[in-house]
Amino acid sequence: MEEVKQSKKRYILVSVIFILLALLLFLLPEKYDLKQKQVWELLRELNSNTRFVTTDYVAQKIINKEPAYKLIDVRNENDFKTFSLPGAINIPIKNILDKDKKGKYKYEDILKNDENTINIFYSNGTIYANQTLLILSRMNYKNNYVMKGGLNKWFETIINPRKPQKTAAESKHILYRNRKAYSIFFTGGGVQSETSPETPSQTPKVAPKKESPKEDEGGC
Amino acid sequence: MGPFFTSGDEFSYVIALIIGIGFGFVLESGGFSTSKKLAGVFYGYDFTVIRVFFTAAITAAIGLFYFDYLGWVDFSALYINKFFIGSSIVGGLIMGLGFVIGGYCPGTSACAVGIGKIDAMIYLAGVIIGAMIFDLFYPLYGSFYKSGNMGASSIYELLGMSKELFLLIFVVFAAVTFYFTTGLQHKITKKMNKKNEQ
Repeated sequence: MEEVKQSKKRYILVSVIFILLALLLFLLPEKYDLKQKQVWELLRELNSNTRFVTTDYVAQKIINKEPAYKLIDVRNENDFKTFSLPGAINIPIKNILDKDKKGKYKYEDILKNDENTINIFYSNGTIYANQTLLILSRMNYKNNYVMKGGLNKWFETIINPRKPQKTAAESKHILYRNRKAYSIFFTGGGVQSETSPETPSQTPKVAPKKESPKEDEGGC
Repeated sequence: MGPFFTSGDEFSYVIALIIGIGFGFVLESGGFSTSKKLAGVFYGYDFTVIRVFFTAAITAAIGLFYFDYLGWVDFSALYINKFFIGSSIVGGLIMGLGFVIGGYCPGTSACAVGIGKIDAMIYLAGVIIGAMIFDLFYPLYGSFYKSGNMGASSIYELLGMSKELFLLIFVVFAAVTFYFTTGLQHKITKKMNKKNEQ
């Protein structure tokens, strides 16, 4: 009988240790990802402008139907349903780090790129897309870019381009002509009014004249 | 950290040998090369097997989860066998039957062969013959063997809970099992001793 008591005592001690260890594991905060980027490296990346692409660059990608890019809208679902760029995927910024039951990042397959593919993020302005890029950059996700100026800039430059003055440089006129062609492509007709974000993009009808991205402002 | 060696690395065989010797030594020291001890779990006079297996499972699970938390092991990169529900049930029944009749499981029989037990040698010969028969008639039950594939599923996924919560429940369950089997074992051993005296 004494032996049984001793044995029980031993098992109680072992059990208590195991339960405490399991309880601690259950109560611990969410795992800290040690693979994340160092703060100084992140800051250096943020200070450089290489993460931006222009609206012209995005317009060309869409028109040319290039396969090696993903256009990601980080606004909320309602805004996305109201208006989005053709072929865009909606991942609201608040959901970017969502995990599935296995603990894997839900959008990892979409957000992670190989060497040949890129992600272009956009929001209404630049802020949310920039924040998304910051999060992904911290997680060491590569080949991510922000459409500078977001949809506001898109409407300003692509949908309703402003005609340059006659005395302006030739390159400005070429850019304007390209943008007029883009506008026709995306609106399916004449130039739209300023307040047209409610209208989803139309099926392309006229292919624009292709120019080198170098002639546009910036690029990636 | 890791993997130190991949499966294709020749040195992994050396590692396997070292781990195998350690595993065999611990099994033998724990009395797992005795068929009476192993079969005791089915008759109720010795629950060491259950307690050892539970201890091994929760030690490994807690260790693995902590390693994953600290970033020493990538939990998502671990290989998990596919789960074939039909063949698992039938295979488990056959395995259990072999265990209760022979008094060994495949691993412990190899351990007992190591210390020269004749019954274990015959048991191991049976294991090899059984494997050959299985292979010979595989076309007959091959489709059943691979049916009901549930993929590399984990029980906590099927139950829809986090792995940490499942582990906690499992550890509590193991602790309760430790407690009750110790008492039950004592009662049954007492009864058996009385019968033997009569």
